[in-house]
Amino acid sequence: MSNKKTRYFVAISGTILAIGLGTGLLASYMGLPVSVFSSAAGPDELQYVPADAAVVAYANVRDVMNSEFRQRFKNLEPTQENKNQFEEKTGLNFEQDIDSVVAVALTKDGMANNPAGAFLILAKGRYEASRLESLALEHGAQVSDYQGKRLITHQEMQAGTDPNHDDMAFGFLDADLVAFGSLNTVKAAIDARASNRNIVSNNDMMKLVNEIDNSNAWAVGRFDAIASKAGLPAEIQSQMPAITWFSAAGHINGGLSGTFKAQTKDEATAKNLRDMMQGFLAMAKMQSANKPAFQQLADSLQLSGDGNNVALSFSIPTELLDVLEAMAKGRHLQPQQQH
Amino acid sequence: MMADAVPVEQGPRMARPRMSFLAASRRVFDLSLGEMLWSRRTIFMALVVGGPVLLALIVKGVEMFGMSALRVNGQRVGGFGIFGMIIWWLFLRFIVPVLGVFYGTALMADEVEDKTLTYLFTRPIQRGAVLIGKYLAYLACTILVVLPAVMVVYFLLVPLSELPTTFGKLVLDLAILGLGLAVYGGVFAFVGAFFKRPLVIGLVFAFGWEQVTLALPGYLKQFTVAYYLQALVPHAMPSDGVTSVLQGMFRDVPPTPVALAWLFIYLGGFLWLATRIVERKEYVLEQ
Repeated sequence: MSNKKTRYFVAISGTILAIGLGTGLLASYMGLPVSVFSSAAGPDELQYVPADAAVVAYANVRDVMNSEFRQRFKNLEPTQENKNQFEEKTGLNFEQDIDSVVAVALTKDGMANNPAGAFLILAKGRYEASRLESLALEHGAQVSDYQGKRLITHQEMQAGTDPNHDDMAFGFLDADLVAFGSLNTVKAAIDARASNRNIVSNNDMMKLVNEIDNSNAWAVGRFDAIASKAGLPAEIQSQMPAITWFSAAGHINGGLSGTFKAQTKDEATAKNLRDMMQGFLAMAKMQSANKPAFQQLADSLQLSGDGNNVALSFSIPTELLDVLEAMAKGRHLQPQQQH
Repeated sequence: MMADAVPVEQGPRMARPRMSFLAASRRVFDLSLGEMLWSRRTIFMALVVGGPVLLALIVKGVEMFGMSALRVNGQRVGGFGIFGMIIWWLFLRFIVPVLGVFYGTALMADEVEDKTLTYLFTRPIQRGAVLIGKYLAYLACTILVVLPAVMVVYFLLVPLSELPTTFGKLVLDLAILGLGLAVYGGVFAFVGAFFKRPLVIGLVFAFGWEQVTLALPGYLKQFTVAYYLQALVPHAMPSDGVTSVLQGMFRDVPPTPVALAWLFIYLGGFLWLATRIVERKEYVLEQ
C-alpha cells in the first residue's frame, strides 16, 4: 500500500470490523450477560431476583401514589383508621415510605401446592428495621442471620406435618430494601445477588425488560412456565393459546396507558391470536359506538405485531376516567344514604 | 492524478516485458487506494456515512434519558428496529447507490478530465487492468469506510442483550452492503467508461430510473440493481411513506438464489463491458 497514512486507515477500519465481528461471534456462541459492558435495564433490585424466575413485575409506587390518576380516586379509598393502626405499630406509611415494589413468581414444582413458597416481594423504601424486628419478636418470630443479612422468620406450629410447608420470612437485604416471601425464596434472593446468578444474567428476560419504556408499572415473564406449573386443569391448559413470553407495561399519570405484548410458539398461533383479538376489538368498537367516552378507549386499542409477536396497546382517556369516577362516587354514596 | 505515481523510464529505451493482467491490476490498485482515500471525494463520503452514525448517537442519547427515540402506533421501536430502518433507508437506498455513482463513474472519467489517462495507457500494462485496479481500489475504499460505520451504528443502537439474536442479521447486512457497493460500482464503472457525462446519467439511473420502476407494476424493475438487492435484506420493508406504500403494493420479491445470480451477472457483465470499452475506446483528451 502506497503510504503510511493509508496503512493506518486500513488497520483502523479493519480493527473496528474485527472487534465488532469478534464480539458478535462471542456473544452468539457463548452468550453475553447484559451487565458485561452496560448497566442492566430495570431497577437495581433485579440483582436479588433468582435467574430462574418465571415472572417479574415492578411498580414505581412513588410515581403511582403521586399520579393524578391516584389523586382522582383517593377520596374513594376506605377510612384511614386501619392504615393509622398499621403505621403506629410498624412506623411504616405505604404512601410515603415505599418507593418501589418488585414481585417475583418462581416456577417451583410445588407452585400449585405451596403458592406462598413461589412468590417473592422486594420493596424499596425507608424502614425502621429495629422497630419492625422488635414487633416481629413480640409476635413470636425468630431472628437469624444469613450471609450477613438479617432474617425474621415466622414459624407456624401446625405446619410440622406438611411436607410442602415453607416458613414465611422477612429479610433486610439493604438499608432501603426488604424481601418478603418464604424462607427459601428470601434466601434464594440473597444467594442470587451474592453469586451474581440473577435475572440480570437471563438474556431472554432482560430483553423483555429492556424493551419496556417510560412505564411505572410492568410485568414480564414466561407464560408457558406458569401455565404448566400452576396446577391448572388440563382442560383449561389445552384451551390456552401457546404463548411463550409476555410483557405488560403501563404508565399511570393523568390517565392510564399501556401495552401488552406476547410471543407465541409459532407464527400460525400468533396469527390466530391476532385474528381473535381483532374480532374482540371490532366487537368492542361496535358496542361503544353510542358512548363517546368508551368509544375513545376502543379507538385507542391498537393491535400490532408480526411473525411470532402480538402487541396490544391502549390508552384510557380523561373523559372515560371522569365517567368512571362519577360511577364510583355514585356507588360510594349509595350505601351511606341507605344508612 | 496518476502521473506522479507512475515511474518515468530513464536512460536508453529498453523493451520492458508486459505485466500480467493480475499483477498490473494489483499495481494500479496499490497506487489508486491511497489517492482515493485522501481525495476530496472522501470528505463527501465521510459526511454521507457520518450521517447515520450521528443519527445513532442522537438516538442513543435520547434513550439514555429514558425516552424512546421512535414510536410507531404508540409502540416503541427497539434498537434493532431503528438499525434496520437505517440500513434500509439510509445505507441501501441512498449511501450505497450514491457512493457507487460518485466513485464508479469517476474511475476513468477523472483520468480523462485531469488529462492523466495518457500516462497510464503508455505503461506496459493492459488498459483493462487500469480499470480493474481502480475498481478494486474503489471497493476497498468504500468498504473500509461503510462497513465500520455500520458496525458502529449497530453497537450504538442495539442493546448487548439482543446481540446473540441479531448478530446473524448484522453479518448478512454487511455482506449485502458489500455486494451492493460491488454491483453499483461495476454498473457505474461501465457508465463512466462509456458515456461522456457519466455523473448525470448515474444519478438519473440511481435516483430516477430505479425509484420509478420499483414503484411501477411490471417487469421493468428487473432492470435495476435495487430490486435484487432489497430482496436480500433481512429487515421488513418499512411501510410508511407514499413511495414505500407503492413499492410495497407492487413488490414481488425474487427468490434469494435468483437475486444473487442476477447481482453477480450484473457485476461480472458490467465489469467485463467496462473493461472491453476501456481496451478499445479512443479517449480524446480535450485541450
